[in-house]
Amino acid sequence: MAMGDIAFLLLIFIVLLARARDESHLVWQPAIGTELVKPANHNASVVIDKQNVTYLNGRPVQVESLAAELEALLGDLPAGGRTVLFKVHKDVIAEFFEPAIEAVSDAGGELHHVLEPAPNPSTVP
Amino acid sequence: MKLRRPKYLVETPSSAMNDIAFILIVFFLVCASVEPEDGRSQMIPRSEKNEAQQDSQSIEVGLTTATVIIDGTPYRLNEFQPHIQQMLAQKKTEAERVVVVKSQTDVPYEHWIAMTEIIERAGGIITLLLEEEQTINLN
Repeated sequence: MAMGDIAFLLLIFIVLLARARDESHLVWQPAIGTELVKPANHNASVVIDKQNVTYLNGRPVQVESLAAELEALLGDLPAGGRTVLFKVHKDVIAEFFEPAIEAVSDAGGELHHVLEPAPNPSTVP
Repeated sequence: MKLRRPKYLVETPSSAMNDIAFILIVFFLVCASVEPEDGRSQMIPRSEKNEAQQDSQSIEVGLTTATVIIDGTPYRLNEFQPHIQQMLAQKKTEAERVVVVKSQTDVPYEHWIAMTEIIERAGGIITLLLEEEQTINLN
């Protein structure tokens, strides 16, 4: 019986830890893309939400310090393991997303734009 | 008359409750952690490399919300794909296939993604040209 309680408490602990990196509270709608692929791995996630605010792993961050923070996160990881998920709201303008792309590039990150598959023409009314 | 309880009506063993709770929690965890990751990878060289590559015969693409400017000549959005494909088909080396993308500040991400996808499919290598802010003090 005690084993069950311990497992239950451990799970709650893991859930609480996982929520620290949760990005579900961020409001963004992906742009449309074609031939989408899933990244093999990822080490960081950059989100620019509807309000043009930039987040790194769910935490608000200034674009000016994004490159340095990403460099610290990616460290000396080899090529192929430096993937950065890039989630930008579809209507965000270049003034906000281009400096973030440059920061990822300067940090040696491998950009992976998270997009939405184009709707199937047969399902569009 | 005394009614006898049939043998097949037995209480559920309570020891199974832990297992059921555990499986339910794992199920909710898996459902909650599904976040979209599908997309398109893009390699954009670092800034210092960009500068070196821009010295060569690279194509310059200017993006606005309504037009695309290739090496100073404006094209409609639907004319862009055949033109860039034609231009990149003539390029042989990697350095020649570098396409410098310069966007106006009001270009939305969705439009930028669509245009860069066309360039990459045509064999181009994207680099960005960002406007730098400079403060000039006037006496």
